[in-house]
Amino acid sequence: MEVVIASSPVDAGIGCWDLHSGAEQLRYRSCTSTPHGLACVGQRFLASSQLRDSSSSSGSILYWSWSKPQVEVKSFPAEPIHPLVSNSDGMYIIGGGSSGAIYFWEVASGRLLKRWHAHYRAVTCLFLSDDESLLVSGAEDGCIRVWSLFMVFDDIGMEMAKNPYEYSFSEHTLRVTDMVSGYGGCNAIIVSASEDRTCKVWSLSRGKLLRSIDFPSIIEAVALDPGEHVFYAGARDGKIYIASINAETTSSNSYGKHIIGTLSDNSKGVTCLAFSKDGILLVSGSEDGTIRVWDAKTHNIVRIYRLAKGPVNNVLVVRRPLYSNRQTSENSHSSFSRRHAPLLPPPLGKYVNSTDENVDSGAVSVPQTPSSDIMDAPYLSYHVLTKQISELQVFFIFLS
Amino acid sequence: MARSKPSSSKKQPKRGVDFKKIKRKIGRKLPPPKNATNTEIKSKAIILPEQSVASERAGLAVSKKGLTLKELLQQTSHHNAKVRRDALTGIRDLVLKYPAELTLHKLAIIEKLRERISDEDKVVRETLYQLLKLVIFPALKKDVPGSLISLMMAYIFNGMTHLATDIRLMAFKFFDLVVQHYPSSFFMYAEKVLQNYEDILRKNHIYLQDRSKLKNALVGLVRCLSLLPCNRRTVDPSYGKNTETQGSLHAYELEVPKEHTDFSSIIKRLEDILPILVNCFQDFIPLVHPMSSLDAQSFDCMLYLLRSIDLSVKFFLYGIDKHQTDFGVTKPTYNEKDMPVWGEIATPVFLRKFLEVFPLNQLHNTSGKDEDKFFILNIEITEIFLHSNEWIFTSAILMERFLEFIENLLSGKIRFNSRSGKALQEKHLTSLLPFIPRLVSLVANTWKSRLLQAFTMAFKDCKPESTLNLAFLSAIEEMLLPSKRQGILLLDASEPEILDHQITWIRELPVLLVRLGDTLSSLSKVILHLLLRLGQYAPMNSSLAWEYDIMQHTLGEFYSMCLDDGSILYGPFMKLPKDCQELSVCCLYYFSSLDSLLLRSLVYCCLCDNLEPSVLFRIIDVLHSAYKIGHLQLVDLISFFVTLVARWKVLPGRLYTHVENAKKISNRETFKAITGAVCSCLRQMGDDALIFQIVQRVILDEIPLNPPIDNLCGMLRLLVILDSRPTKLSEQSIIILSNSISEYLIDAASYIPENGDEVTDSNQISICQYYLVPCFFLFDRSDKLLNLVLDLMGSSIGEDNSSLACNHDTQHTLDLSSRIVAVVSILLYMHQDIKIRRRLSSCKGEITRILQKMRLQLIDPCWEQ
Repeated sequence: MEVVIASSPVDAGIGCWDLHSGAEQLRYRSCTSTPHGLACVGQRFLASSQLRDSSSSSGSILYWSWSKPQVEVKSFPAEPIHPLVSNSDGMYIIGGGSSGAIYFWEVASGRLLKRWHAHYRAVTCLFLSDDESLLVSGAEDGCIRVWSLFMVFDDIGMEMAKNPYEYSFSEHTLRVTDMVSGYGGCNAIIVSASEDRTCKVWSLSRGKLLRSIDFPSIIEAVALDPGEHVFYAGARDGKIYIASINAETTSSNSYGKHIIGTLSDNSKGVTCLAFSKDGILLVSGSEDGTIRVWDAKTHNIVRIYRLAKGPVNNVLVVRRPLYSNRQTSENSHSSFSRRHAPLLPPPLGKYVNSTDENVDSGAVSVPQTPSSDIMDAPYLSYHVLTKQISELQVFFIFLS
Repeated sequence: MARSKPSSSKKQPKRGVDFKKIKRKIGRKLPPPKNATNTEIKSKAIILPEQSVASERAGLAVSKKGLTLKELLQQTSHHNAKVRRDALTGIRDLVLKYPAELTLHKLAIIEKLRERISDEDKVVRETLYQLLKLVIFPALKKDVPGSLISLMMAYIFNGMTHLATDIRLMAFKFFDLVVQHYPSSFFMYAEKVLQNYEDILRKNHIYLQDRSKLKNALVGLVRCLSLLPCNRRTVDPSYGKNTETQGSLHAYELEVPKEHTDFSSIIKRLEDILPILVNCFQDFIPLVHPMSSLDAQSFDCMLYLLRSIDLSVKFFLYGIDKHQTDFGVTKPTYNEKDMPVWGEIATPVFLRKFLEVFPLNQLHNTSGKDEDKFFILNIEITEIFLHSNEWIFTSAILMERFLEFIENLLSGKIRFNSRSGKALQEKHLTSLLPFIPRLVSLVANTWKSRLLQAFTMAFKDCKPESTLNLAFLSAIEEMLLPSKRQGILLLDASEPEILDHQITWIRELPVLLVRLGDTLSSLSKVILHLLLRLGQYAPMNSSLAWEYDIMQHTLGEFYSMCLDDGSILYGPFMKLPKDCQELSVCCLYYFSSLDSLLLRSLVYCCLCDNLEPSVLFRIIDVLHSAYKIGHLQLVDLISFFVTLVARWKVLPGRLYTHVENAKKISNRETFKAITGAVCSCLRQMGDDALIFQIVQRVILDEIPLNPPIDNLCGMLRLLVILDSRPTKLSEQSIIILSNSISEYLIDAASYIPENGDEVTDSNQISICQYYLVPCFFLFDRSDKLLNLVLDLMGSSIGEDNSSLACNHDTQHTLDLSSRIVAVVSILLYMHQDIKIRRRLSSCKGEITRILQKMRLQLIDPCWEQ
């Protein structure tokens, strides 16, 4: 089931709607998310980094399982986390801190695997390339950096290399508001939007700026057409501009060069955009608390959802597994009866080596993910494996 | 025909008298006389075909002497040197006159002319050189096929190996000419050419006498070597980068192999040539020391030799660098093993020896002119030293000597004596400054501080309009910020002394910016870019970031300054081009707490008519963004916005919208857009109630100043946007507002179309709505306000009636009558609005009072006049 999930910086919970039928699902409570701070971890559960008042030094990340509206797991990282992203099978969560550091957690154990200093100012957005080998981060100072996840964990290589990142683009003069990548892994293009009223198209393979497009207003969100012919830019003035990537535009029209049209509903500023998997429906979140679903082909509004009075700042289109069916089938042959959804993993660690003691004491329970999920995610860290082995040993001792 | 003449037989006897008589028999035919043939030849008519060609020449291109191109070309291989020379000048005339001839016959022309490259006659060669240089190459600039060049090159190479030295040197000159016009040709023949240079330089003792020739050859070498790739130290490529790309980003790109040059052969040749250059230079040194003066020719030779050495060293470095970036990132360990490929194994030894000669000094003090020459040579050597510094570890003594020289140069202890010295010094300093950051980061601490001291002094002394500033700025950027390529800081800012210098530089920047004014916008742009980078990259909570924050006090002057007498002095910001303005506005975003003084000078700029609206909107955008990340106080931002709305000058583009005051109307549109932008910012700030309180307070401070109708309207709009129903306005503010609103309504009434049912100018209606709608919102939300306003309107008609009754002032009565008309039309207009009609029904008392006042006025004796 493809659902739209949306969150707001004011406490309105996480709204969840079926994209095709429009029916509202559960609303997950007490969430005040940061921009780009909502992620669906491996279709298993929702995670969101929370806005904190400036007095508290630590941040907070909350987990919700699909089936319960209450917060299930709370973790408190060392500093406020703004953007949050997870890889597609939900093995890792990556967060960008307000000091400019990037945090890399393993979900199953909650361990902080790596924390590195990525930017001089707060990180504002993060995304993984579609082959999940590159991490792209944008910051408040307008800098965009491309990291190879392979290199990030290669301490020796990092020291030898001239720079830890693959590329550093500093052409934006103000905060980067959103970024999106095309297809093709390390050969893809990325589109970035910034408060300097431009969107820039970069080539990941050549590491250079391909195009810079000036908009009449600040662009808060970008979404890329699956065919990569155009991209959609949600602006603060409430319009969604359509800018061409692959079409020849010679004459500049009323909006500016390369801008070929708009989607407009006279709403307040557009804050976030997402495409459905089929690439036809474009979902936009707005300052006025509504979520609009557009047909990108006809430029018509298909549906409007209402989240809250306050602004919406995150919209995601995700596939939600139909747990009810699977659980019954699982329960039928599973010796452990699990009434509810699968248990959520432990909270995320605060420091890089903080969980070592926990492991020794053996207090952390093994993530009891459904068997199918284990098939999806074969790359458990050594850490988790050793734990599982030791528990099996205990089990055998009991048997004998 | 002559033979058959009968007259010939008659004359026969006469001839017989003079000569031997010949007996003739009658009836016999005479043999043809010998002299008769002459006539026959004559009648053949003097090379008639040629004559006829001459007549056809009218259509052909001819030179001044009437010769065609073909003839001229033939004459170029004439055995007489003078004819050859004339032919060449003839070709020149012809081509200048008929450029089409050249494009048509370029192949033929070049084919013929190339033979003259190794002409024995000096004058002919010189003429050919001029011909090619001035006429043929410039004309063929666009379409020159490689075949043409190769045609030439065969003969040039021939010339280069000619026995006569004159011809050899001249051949280099020709090659230089070719390279000048077709730089890519060097790479095609690089190996062979360098080989030839090598040969000629090796035998330099032969040419030592004829230095001007050697100089010519060296000029060519310098030109060729400067074509080699090297690490160019440009100011910053990212500023002016042109991203104007093709329309389609995913389009198929034709991959054309670029320069197919194989550098390895060039490297090998250069490796051979470098020691020879050094030797050659050292041959000159004995000339320098004992002699009291250095003649211009040998000075030039030395200079060019040094330049060549410099360029080849640079090229080697480029090779090493490129090698590192190609493989260094992934396999850094292989570096050292692969490096010898690039040929620096052999070089350091003799280079070190060569550098030992530094500094070139004169034993006897002579004229200033000579000192300058030595100075220039020394600078060149220093440059070579600095280039090679990265891979030669020089002895400490030598290092000292160089460092001292650089320090002296920076601090201006060494100066040029000649008149043009100032410009020269700047030029040379520009070439040295890019090395300073690297040098400072490498040398020992004592030298570090001495160099930095000298550098800072020089930077401070530098005049704003000097070209040196660019070089200084890029050096400063390198020393202040983490470099773009390496991502690490060159200098450790934790050392107090370095920090001191860094702070001095930062403080100097806004001063320089203000002093520059709008004279050199390119330089201003570089400074602003540096400031922006500083704001972006200064580590949070470091002393650099702190210094950046402090800078806003001095930066206020850049925007505008309020003088003591209340007038405003606009800073350079207003006059700079738009891209500079954008950059400076972006800088504001990075101040960790924006000062209210800076905001004030900014608001003066915003209120100025000359500021382009787009920049104004950028300022609003950026300030709002700065507020969002907590760099700006809420109160400051709101008072900025309200001041903007309250004081922005709307040009009185009155009712009637003629074509000529279309601009004035657009001004009102701009104001509307500003109000809209401010409203949307205010609404996005979050807690509406709190913001409303602040906005209300600030607006109430502004209202007593009696702002013009448009500004008041804007402010009312701000209130309406944030207010809710029922109103959140406090009692006191309702009283103050009611005062100004009653006046405002009477002013706005003049915009109400006179007859509601009549179709009037749609523009006027929209203006009228624009003015009245915010009031209606306020009335709708607060009955009290409506009551008060109606009361005031009533009393404005009837007020001080008694005191003015006897005052028979027509002005007053006119005023009064228009007031009454206005009040009536307002009431009628309000009545049309359904919501307000409902509200009005509750204030019947006030309305009747107004009507009574009107009646009183009507029966007033004043009216009878």
